[in-house]
Amino acid sequence: MLKKIIFISFLVTMLSSLTGCAVNRATASLTPGTDLKAMKTFYVVKSPKDEKDVDQLIKDFLVKKGYSVTTGPELAPPYQADGVITYIDKWFWDITMYMLELTINVRQPNNFPVATGNSFHTSLTRKSPPEMVEEVMSNIYKEDK
Amino acid sequence: MKFSMKSIFSSSLFGIAAVILTSSMLGGCASPSTALGMTPTAIQTTNKHAQSVSLTVGGGKETSATGKSQISDAAFADAISNAITSSKVFSSVIKGSGGDTVLTVTIFNIDQPSFGFSFTVKMEAGWTLKRADTGAVIWQESIKSEHTATTSDAFVAIERLRLANEGAAKSNIAEALRKISALDF
Repeated sequence: MLKKIIFISFLVTMLSSLTGCAVNRATASLTPGTDLKAMKTFYVVKSPKDEKDVDQLIKDFLVKKGYSVTTGPELAPPYQADGVITYIDKWFWDITMYMLELTINVRQPNNFPVATGNSFHTSLTRKSPPEMVEEVMSNIYKEDK
Repeated sequence: MKFSMKSIFSSSLFGIAAVILTSSMLGGCASPSTALGMTPTAIQTTNKHAQSVSLTVGGGKETSATGKSQISDAAFADAISNAITSSKVFSSVIKGSGGDTVLTVTIFNIDQPSFGFSFTVKMEAGWTLKRADTGAVIWQESIKSEHTATTSDAFVAIERLRLANEGAAKSNIAEALRKISALDF
């Protein structure tokens, strides 16, 4: 019995030292004075670590909204577009790989950020990558009142 | 007295110690990043501007009891304000409007790890300095910074993450004020 307690204690200790707590959240903010609707053309900067083509999902979302979108590697600013999109996607494994967190930034052509959105969903409330993109981008556009 | 690994692991004292250690590590959850921890102590200054500055901070998040350590707007604003006051980059910091210049700082990204021994937090904040009377932009830049906290800084993960947050914010403020100090306006 004591051995079990010791083993469990060590296991919990190790886990507490290795992980932070987690929550589900979806937030977005926009710099006052920013007019997202004035941005009609976008350049989505493909993250060098992205092997899941998240840039294409963001492109699909914006194209559905009627905007002209190109994707590609990071370039030296100023970009030849009204807006630049960058993102950070984080994945985690629980039976299968899933997108744990997605942060998307909307930037001016000079690369200065003007809007950000973030969604974080742990395994039980996981969303598919297109749903994550939809949630983050929709929340950013909701801020543009 | 004879000691062996078996006797150590099977002693009740060891079991109690393990439980106490575990409890102490789990006591409480994430604590927010503090203004004190984010305030840079040494800032390289070129000019000390005679103008006053109104400070506006956004993009921060409150820390929930079960979430990760975050940087709140209020704590980040206090840290920037303290750093300006101590470095004298501006003559004074005014909360709200009324300054000669307006400094708007927005936290856009805080990239935090969830797992590991070394926690590296990467941060990006947008800094904009404008003239209060005309609204003309004097300087605008996105500042990226990062800081790594290891188990030697803090063994408990939530504490380690807070230290990494504070270190990244501290570097961000120091770099931005160094650049603002170098401006001529």
